[in-house]
Amino acid sequence: MSVRHALLALLSEGPKYGLQLREEFEARTGEVWPLNVGQVYTTLQRLERDGLVESDDAGEDGPQKGFRITADGAQELAGWLRTPPDLSSPPRDELVIKVLVAMRLPGVDVHEVVQVHRKYLVELMQEWTRLKEDEADYDLPLALAVDAELFRLDSVIRWLDSADGRLRRAAGDPPGRAASPVPMPMPRLRRKAGVRR
Amino acid sequence: MTALELRRVSKDYGEGPAEVHALRDIDLSVEAGALVAVMGPSGSGKSTLLTIAGSLEDPTSGEVLIGGTALSGMSRNDKARLRRRSIGYVFQDFNLLAGLTAAENVALPLELDGIAARKARVTSMATLEELGLADRASRFPDELSGGERQRVAIARAVVGERRLLLTDEPTGALDSANGEAVMRLVRAACKRGVAGVVVTHDAQLASWADRVVFLRDGRVADQTSPPPGPESLLASGPRQAPGTGQ
Amino acid sequence: MSTSLRERPAGLGTGGGVPARRAMVRWAWRLFRREWRQQLLVLALLTVAVGGTILGAAVATNTPPPANRGFGTANHLVTLPGNDPHLTADIAAIRRQFGIVDVIEDQTIAIRGSVNTFDLRAQNPSGPYGGPMLSLVAGHYPAGPGEVAVTSAVASALSLRIGDRWHEGGHAWRVTGMVEDPQNLLDQFALVAPGQVSTPDQVSILLDSSPAARFHFPRGAQVQSIYSHPKSSGISAAVIVLILSTVCLIFVGLVAVAGFTVMAQRRLRALGMLGALGATDRNIRLVMVANGAVVGIVATLLGAVLGFLAWIAYEPHLETITEHRIDLLSLPWWTIGTAMALAIVTSVLAARRPARSAAGLPVVAALSGRPARPQPAHHSALLGGLILVIGLLLFAFAGSSNGNGGSGSLEIVLGLVAITIGSVFLASLAIAVLGPAGRPAPIAVRLALRDLARYRARSGAALGAVSFAVFLAVLICIGASYRFSDVLDLTGTNLAPNQLIVYTGCNNGACPASPPAPAQARAIEARVAASLGTHDVLALYTTSATLWRASTRNNNFTGTLYVATPALLRHYGITPSQVSPGTDILTSRAGLSSVTHLNLIFGNYFGNGHAGKGNGPGAPPASCPASDCLASPKIQTISSLPPYVDGPNTVITAHAVHALGLHLNGLAGYLIQTSQPLTKKQIYDAQQIAGAAGANIETKSAQPSLSQLLDSATAFGLLLAFAVLAMTVGLIRAETASDLRTLAAAGAGGTTRRTLTGATAGALGLLGGLLGTAVAYLAGIAWFHSTPGNLTHVPIVNLAILIIGMPLAASIVGWLLAGREPPTIARQPIE
Repeated sequence: MSVRHALLALLSEGPKYGLQLREEFEARTGEVWPLNVGQVYTTLQRLERDGLVESDDAGEDGPQKGFRITADGAQELAGWLRTPPDLSSPPRDELVIKVLVAMRLPGVDVHEVVQVHRKYLVELMQEWTRLKEDEADYDLPLALAVDAELFRLDSVIRWLDSADGRLRRAAGDPPGRAASPVPMPMPRLRRKAGVRR
Repeated sequence: MTALELRRVSKDYGEGPAEVHALRDIDLSVEAGALVAVMGPSGSGKSTLLTIAGSLEDPTSGEVLIGGTALSGMSRNDKARLRRRSIGYVFQDFNLLAGLTAAENVALPLELDGIAARKARVTSMATLEELGLADRASRFPDELSGGERQRVAIARAVVGERRLLLTDEPTGALDSANGEAVMRLVRAACKRGVAGVVVTHDAQLASWADRVVFLRDGRVADQTSPPPGPESLLASGPRQAPGTGQ
Repeated sequence: MSTSLRERPAGLGTGGGVPARRAMVRWAWRLFRREWRQQLLVLALLTVAVGGTILGAAVATNTPPPANRGFGTANHLVTLPGNDPHLTADIAAIRRQFGIVDVIEDQTIAIRGSVNTFDLRAQNPSGPYGGPMLSLVAGHYPAGPGEVAVTSAVASALSLRIGDRWHEGGHAWRVTGMVEDPQNLLDQFALVAPGQVSTPDQVSILLDSSPAARFHFPRGAQVQSIYSHPKSSGISAAVIVLILSTVCLIFVGLVAVAGFTVMAQRRLRALGMLGALGATDRNIRLVMVANGAVVGIVATLLGAVLGFLAWIAYEPHLETITEHRIDLLSLPWWTIGTAMALAIVTSVLAARRPARSAAGLPVVAALSGRPARPQPAHHSALLGGLILVIGLLLFAFAGSSNGNGGSGSLEIVLGLVAITIGSVFLASLAIAVLGPAGRPAPIAVRLALRDLARYRARSGAALGAVSFAVFLAVLICIGASYRFSDVLDLTGTNLAPNQLIVYTGCNNGACPASPPAPAQARAIEARVAASLGTHDVLALYTTSATLWRASTRNNNFTGTLYVATPALLRHYGITPSQVSPGTDILTSRAGLSSVTHLNLIFGNYFGNGHAGKGNGPGAPPASCPASDCLASPKIQTISSLPPYVDGPNTVITAHAVHALGLHLNGLAGYLIQTSQPLTKKQIYDAQQIAGAAGANIETKSAQPSLSQLLDSATAFGLLLAFAVLAMTVGLIRAETASDLRTLAAAGAGGTTRRTLTGATAGALGLLGGLLGTAVAYLAGIAWFHSTPGNLTHVPIVNLAILIIGMPLAASIVGWLLAGREPPTIARQPIE
């Protein structure tokens, strides 16, 4: 999510002052995303430069300066809302790499490593859930943001569960067959990733 | 007060080569007011743990104590009475008896315990009202949505003076909004002093618990420590997990 | 949650007391209201059983004429002939002796241009005893001279209506009303006020007299007592209907067990949930038993309503058949009440077993819908064998007590119940064998057999019901064949439908107290023959001789040994040359000539106290002296003699009469034959004529012939078995609809479905046929063990139809009907 587009979205509701923009930004992202003042103003200046917003007057910069969105800005916002985020290429996931390493390292129980991560993730989810339980009734943006975080963590746990099961089955299979997919996972992954990038 | 305590509980099924150790030396205690999630993959023995904790099955060895009372040596009828008075169940998809309205379903454990129908109905209506289901009281189960059915099931599980709420994938067949509503009810019950156990393979569901117990191959593999509370999240932003590099 | 329930009822034990039971019953009732369609089969069967019992009992008790027919409320009827010279004085003397009497004067009047007659009757409508014999249909009773009321038949024969004038014998009568004799609608008369019949042909006097009262009635008077009227022997018709309905209910009960088992299986998860909620085993049992009770009560009430409606609809029809008025409410109430109670009990008992097994199941198994593992078959087989043996013993006891004159109906019913229950247990053993037996069969057959073996509770009950149907049919076949094969104690049709015997003398050892003189007998015969419009009359004579078998314990010769007069031989077209010289007995009973130890007894043997008459325990044959007995008489079988039991089927030849110097008893009666079967009116008229003269008549009774019995028993068994199969196979296959769906998903088409249904029906039919026949033969052997005879007269065709034809037809019909895709494939029942 870019701060740029968030500010455009806020301005599409009507002209706003700089300070107001910052407060509303934080409120709408459920205070999950703290923002400093400088970031807001830098972004606003860039937007103005690109002709996506215009300010009241060329007077002093500061919290009392008003901004409004331009036609170009509105077009830019509409286009951005419909542009899918870049999900097609796998991120270089540290967790995946850790499990892949643990799997081949002698003297390390990969299941134990998996469980450490799982436990940590569940604890994290517990905290998010508690936050949602306490606050979400009054705060819709917060609930949405927490849900996103929960689903993301959940998907990681699911991957851990599935990896756990796959490793277990591989261990149960005769070694000859189990050995073959294991030796060369990283180069292949890297090659694939490399092609995309 | 410890509402539920399992001491070195084991459960075996079958004999000889077909013998299955569903549970091995499980120790677990749930305090009043606490919600404990039991997480594990299929076949880890989590449903067996629930049925043993709820006196529906006897352990092969070990002892189950409910509200400090040992289950071993109880007759079938004594256990039935214990279930009527102290234990509430919520299962995944089948909870309510067809042919009885929501209010009658909720009143049923009370009536089974010898409370006159009219009085049981008053209590059941009060419980439904607390759970925001008063307008559904005279509906039959097949006239309720899935989420409403589970919420009525929870009402039935906590009606009266239940001390123990045992749930097995209570949101399994629901979408996340309905699932959340159900879990909020479970949490609310626990806040009033009920000890809750939720058995699931779903981390989102388990994350509602105060404590998550990981079950693997019939053993307790791990458990989470009580979370520090939501303030920590806001104070420092999302913490970096050891492996979830972003 | 926060609602406090501090005050828990104390001292309730662990069961939850009345509120818990009430909650269970309420739930059972709700379930019944929701799912009564699934129990329609049991409901319908029970309803039909109850309704049928009510209608049957009502018809059975109201079909025989009223016991007081012809007596009104009096207990004695004195008939004086009209030609009594001191008629008035005699009536006065009787009135003096008995105080209150009711005098009815009859004058016979011929209808012009018709052989029919009717009576001009003078009777007081408000007489002390005759009230029940008169009722007013329209108008009013004749009150004085010149007034008459007529019955409907008289009115139509004479074209009379109320208000018309009727001229008869110089009198002019005004018709004031329409009347009838409600006890006898065949009685046609014109009613006038007392004293208006000047020249009666017959005067009937109704009076109440204790049987001990002695009074010298005038010559020619016939005195009849209501006490001497023949009553139906032993068991009343209503009791027979009740026994039949019990048997029927046993049968319905078996089907109900299958139905309730399916029901319990369907509700298993709900029952498990109930257990998880803390219901005790008793509470859970109560749900199922209450369901059974609800089904029983609803079906019984429905059956009662239907039965009574059917009775109300049928009653007018029955009145015209039985020719007497019937009170709609004169019903065997206790029989009906018992049958209704039995129906409810049957339903409750049928629900008990599935209830027990559902309640005994671990809660976890019930919650996941896993049925209980069937008990090892040999357990139930052992119990079944034991109960079967008890049933057979009861049958054996009933069989021997029957031979000794006891009725043994209680033993029969108990025996039937025990045999049925025993067979049901054995049926589950037979079912258990099915699974392994089908291993080499193709997949669809194997699946069908395995399903039967897996769900043993319901298939066992279904098999029990089929085998019970076959059992009843085969038992009737065996019994009938055995009974009809007895040449000594002949059973069968007593007379042809166009035959009538007027007994004027001794009949089968029973002689009238004042037998009419030969001339009088001749006159009676002439009047009866005239009323029937025939001249085909054969005089029957008897001697003092009879046949007697010395060595049997129970059965002995029955029937009358008539004399083979030349007229009799001529009547049946037997020429003297056909009779071998020296023959003593001619008979149409095939096999009589080969019976051993047969004696022709003619002397004073019985009178000397050697043996009881006829059926008593026999004296040793050696002691029968030659002056009293002819051992092993020469018997010739002549098929042209009539086969009828009460006709002259066995006759003593003139040769024997002469050779033994037998004393002729004289005229026994006349066998009168008409060209057409006798009508009820003819029989009634003949009865009136003979009865007034002190003679009796006999006509064809309702006794069926052997082939009729065998065929109807077989048809009955077939129908019953088919009905059970149709219902239970549907039930069983509907329950495995999910299997069918899986099969369909695996590519199985209509043929597999057809084969499944056909194999299920065929296997149940075949096993039921074999089991039923085997048990029926055991029961037959038990029944007849005390009367050593042979059970070798096997009705092979009938048995083949039941054992081979029935399963074959069932599987073919199942195959044909199962082609359509059942709707249950598409949708599963919702929990």
